[in-house]
Amino acid sequence: MNLVIKLLTSAKFAVAIIAVIILLSAVGTFYPGGDVVFGSWLFLFFVGLFALSTAFCSLTRVVPLWRDVMHPPIEISDQFLQKLPYHASISGVTVSQIKVHWKGYKWYETRSSETTFSFAQKGRIGRFGPHIAHFGVLMLLLGVAVGTAYGYANPYSNTITVIPQGGSQQVDGFVLQLNGFNVSYYDSGAVRDYRATVTLIDGSQAQTRDITVNGPITYGGLTFYLYGYDSNGVIESGEASWVAFQIKNDAGLPLVWTGSVVALAGIMIALYVPHKRIWIIWSNEHILVGAISNKSSARFFRDIDKFRAQALDHVARSKEI
Amino acid sequence: MDIAALEQLGFEIALGTYLISSILFILYFSTKKRRLAEMGFTLVCFGFAFQTFALATRWFFAGHPPWVNTYEVMSFFTWTIVGAYLILNVRSDYRSLGTLVAPLAFATLGFASLQPTNPTPLMPALQSVWLLIHVPIAVLSYCAFFIAFLASVLYLFKDKQLSEGRLMKGPHKPRDRSANTERAVSRETIGVLGKFSLDQLDDLAYRSVAVGFPLLTIGIITGAIWAEAAWGSYWSWDPKETWSLITWLVFLIYLHAKTQNWGSSLAAYIASFGFISVVCTFLGVAYVLPFLETYVSVSTGLHGYVGGGVVAGTVFFCGILGFVLLLLYATRKKPPSASEAPQAVTNTEAATAR
Repeated sequence: MNLVIKLLTSAKFAVAIIAVIILLSAVGTFYPGGDVVFGSWLFLFFVGLFALSTAFCSLTRVVPLWRDVMHPPIEISDQFLQKLPYHASISGVTVSQIKVHWKGYKWYETRSSETTFSFAQKGRIGRFGPHIAHFGVLMLLLGVAVGTAYGYANPYSNTITVIPQGGSQQVDGFVLQLNGFNVSYYDSGAVRDYRATVTLIDGSQAQTRDITVNGPITYGGLTFYLYGYDSNGVIESGEASWVAFQIKNDAGLPLVWTGSVVALAGIMIALYVPHKRIWIIWSNEHILVGAISNKSSARFFRDIDKFRAQALDHVARSKEI
Repeated sequence: MDIAALEQLGFEIALGTYLISSILFILYFSTKKRRLAEMGFTLVCFGFAFQTFALATRWFFAGHPPWVNTYEVMSFFTWTIVGAYLILNVRSDYRSLGTLVAPLAFATLGFASLQPTNPTPLMPALQSVWLLIHVPIAVLSYCAFFIAFLASVLYLFKDKQLSEGRLMKGPHKPRDRSANTERAVSRETIGVLGKFSLDQLDDLAYRSVAVGFPLLTIGIITGAIWAEAAWGSYWSWDPKETWSLITWLVFLIYLHAKTQNWGSSLAAYIASFGFISVVCTFLGVAYVLPFLETYVSVSTGLHGYVGGGVVAGTVFFCGILGFVLLLLYATRKKPPSASEAPQAVTNTEAATAR
């Protein structure tokens, strides 16, 4: 059991699963009747493993991450500071000067006998970006599962209905009536637009709507898409003897779209929000500064160097006076 | 002169400047004369200006954005990679990258020039606001991944040459004539590889993926929203959808490899495979699958660029893929032999000693 948990929380395992999904997908595009691969138990098994791995990776890491990010060590030893990727001594600055330069950072302070410990950090959310993305992906996969399971719950969902010109069809408690269908053309003879005009009759209420290729309509929890038409005689009269509509109800859609947006937000936060931290130890002998960042550290450290140089310059010049 | 002729003129001038610029960059690659790279870069700037004019004109007289048929999409893609190359050069000097950018620009624009140019009015499925969002964002992501590939392949070449002792680690004085060995070493250090450090190349690759990955994510999501409206299904494992997902997954692996610190060399190879996936998504699905359809039963799906020779496209796909694989093969390191290793050390030691 321990081995299973260890695998599921391992990043290497996650990447291996992704690699298998890549291979299966590539094969699937060449396989005749490709859906066979993507609907297969094998494929679904690996997608399930992928979901499990994503969930476990985040579940096991989020709590310690929260503790580290939200409750950072403020009173630190000189050794801790010297082990940081950036550490240096600084002089000729006051607490307020530092706080002005790094405004926008969240500052913490604590005192111990003659020494003051300051700590500042910014961009905490950046560390959670990957976990937000993981959560979004899981939401999306759940939406896919819900849509697949409940999409067939409504007997009208995932059906094609063919309505003759002027005719109507009973759909789940209301009636879809086809008033007309029109195909318009460009001068070149290519099709410009397909448009079906329908009336939805629900008891005493009726509404007339147009359905176009990019404009499906939704009513009563079902969505109606243009699917096809009988082209015999259409070019001359501009009408069709019958029009086919695809009816769908995807209950998982809200989850799919929300999950996608959350995943995208997580990706962008992870890639663009660096989590930067600065520690400062003020004692009678010296002022030490240490820093760390999970991305774009070069620029961050350069900025601290510049600040230190300015401070030293200021001290030097005031000594001249 | 009517507006269609103006567009064609702009296109052809751009094509010509990319050709001459490519020749200049190839000469630069072999002679290492800086001046050639500078001239090549200036020409590319001109080419970009003419392409911008041509694309804007095209949008105007075609009545739809210039990324509907093959001719337009390939022109637009060329414009994005040249544009990306120019943006890179705004704050730093990446002009020598033109050695790879200019020939590719000429190749893609040249391929476009072989396609029928007459603008086709939008078919019903394309009459949507998503045409303005989904397509250019996807193409921009391909552009970003190309830059990542460029940086990765250069990283791998430099890494190989450093490990074989043929390059010094950083910029080196160009005119050192004190010894044969030194001159051989110094000739390698200037030019495309010598100018950039391994870290710089690794960083450029990462930053490019950091741009391309969110763009591709948005491209896939907006594609799904569009598919839901137009085809009644946000995902139908259409080859284009499947391969764009594969590309996304490869770069997902890249990002994990980088954040888990599995090594820049491995990351560079992953990014390169990611670009191969981009070529399959962009070209393969559109041309090779319909080409194969005449011989075997494959599904070509609902995505397809209007117009566009399938045979020419397949040949172009094979050419680009072949070139990419050749480059990657050339980056593999020779296994160190007992006689080689000490020699390599002596060369660099001797050079640094002086």
